[in-house]
Amino acid sequence: MPVVRIPTPLRPYSGGKDSVEASGSTVGEVLTSLTTALPDLKDRILDAGEVRRFVNIYVNNEDIRYLDDLATPVADRDEVSIIPAIAGG
Amino acid sequence: MAFASNPNDPLDRYSRQVRFPGMGEDGQRKLMASRVTLCGCGALGTVLANHLVRAGVGFVRVVDRDFIETHNLQRQILFDEDDVADNLPKAEAAARKLRKINSTVTIEPIVTDIDHTNIEALVSDVDLILDGTDNFETRYLINDAAVKLNKPWIFGGVIGSEGQTMTILPGKSPCMRCVIEDSPPPGMTPTCETAGVLGPAVAVVASFEAVEAIKILSGNFEKLNTKLIMFDVWDWSFRELKIAALKDKVDCPCCKGRKFEWLDGALGSHTTTLCGRNAVQIATRRHEPLNFPEMATRLAPLGEVRHNAFMLRFATEGHEFTVFPDGRAIIKGTNDIAKARTLYSQFVGS
Repeated sequence: MPVVRIPTPLRPYSGGKDSVEASGSTVGEVLTSLTTALPDLKDRILDAGEVRRFVNIYVNNEDIRYLDDLATPVADRDEVSIIPAIAGG
Repeated sequence: MAFASNPNDPLDRYSRQVRFPGMGEDGQRKLMASRVTLCGCGALGTVLANHLVRAGVGFVRVVDRDFIETHNLQRQILFDEDDVADNLPKAEAAARKLRKINSTVTIEPIVTDIDHTNIEALVSDVDLILDGTDNFETRYLINDAAVKLNKPWIFGGVIGSEGQTMTILPGKSPCMRCVIEDSPPPGMTPTCETAGVLGPAVAVVASFEAVEAIKILSGNFEKLNTKLIMFDVWDWSFRELKIAALKDKVDCPCCKGRKFEWLDGALGSHTTTLCGRNAVQIATRRHEPLNFPEMATRLAPLGEVRHNAFMLRFATEGHEFTVFPDGRAIIKGTNDIAKARTLYSQFVGS
C-alpha cells in the first residue's frame, strides 16, 4: 500500500503517527481512504474535495500540481507527503 | 605568497573565504559591492545578518518592528541581557553589534513595521531581499515586491525542530505564490509561541539562506537551490521537494498575472488604534471562518482561553485578545500597532 507521511502539526489527528498506510491507485483515492480512517484530518487537508490552498501534496518529492493533481497515479510503496507551509522565524 | 597578511588590503580579513574555490577574489569583490535588505531581525534574521556581515556584504539594511525581550535570547544570537535592560529595538541593537563585528560594512537599521505602503522603498535599491520574518503576510508582501521589481529573495521558515527554505529568482523560478498559494488561516498552524522552537533549527535554516545569499551576491547563480528544502533536526530527516516545474504549470496571480494583491493592499490586514482603550484592532480579509476549538487547544497552555460561536478570548502576558470568526482581533494592553501585529503573528498566526 502507499504510505502517507503526516507532518508534525497534523500528528494530533493521526494518533501521533508520522506515517500511515492508505490504499488507492491515485492520490485522490489515497487521501479518501486516509481521511475515512482518520476523519479529523479531512478538513485540514481537503476543502470540498480539493486540496486546500495552503497545503501541498507530493508523491515521492514531486508536487502533484505539475503531475495530474488528485488523479496522479500512486503505486504500491509510493510515498505521499502532506506538506504544510512553515510560518515561524 | 598569494595571501600574505596585509592589513591595508580590504580583502585580507576575508582570506579564508577568498581561498574557497567558489568565491575567489572576484566573488569577494562582488560581495563587498552588494546590497541587501533583511526583513525581520529576530531568530532567523540575527543569524542571517551575522553571516552576511562577517562575509563582507557591502550594505545591509536591517528592518524590524520589535524590541528585545528576555525570551528572545535563547535563539536570537546578536542580542544579550544588556540590550534587554536598555530596552533597545532589535534593528538598533543588531546594528550596534554588527558594526563591532565588521566596521567596513554599512549597516542601516530601520525600526518600522513592514507593510504595503513602505516595502518598495525598503527594497528598491538593493540586490537581494532576505526573509527573517515570522509570518506569511510579510512574506507575500516581500514576494509581490520582489517579483514586481525583479529582485531575488530567499524564503526561510522554522517551527519546533523543522525548517523550510527556497530561493526565488523572479522570471526564472516559481515564486512563493506558485508554491504556497495561500497562507494558512490564522490559528490553524502552530507558531514559535505555541509550538516552541529550537535555536539550532533556526541556525540551520538561516545558514542555508545565508549560503544562497552569498552565491547570488558573488555571482554563483548556477549553484543555487531549485527545490523546496525541508528538514527536521530532531528526527534527522532532510528532503528536497521538486518545485521548478510549478513555474509553467501553475496559474500564478503574482508572477504570471502580475497582480500584486498584497502590495496593492487588496490582501493582508489593516490595523487601527482604538483611542482611549489601550487597544489595537487588526482586521484581516479572510473568507473562511476560524476554527475556535482548534485555536483554543493550541493557546490553552499559554494563558486563559475561552470561546463561544462568536468570539474567542485569550489572556496572556498582560494582553487580552478578542478574536472574531473572520480573523479580526482586538488586542488590549497596547496602543502600539507594531507590537499588536507582533502579538497577532505570535499567538494567532499569519
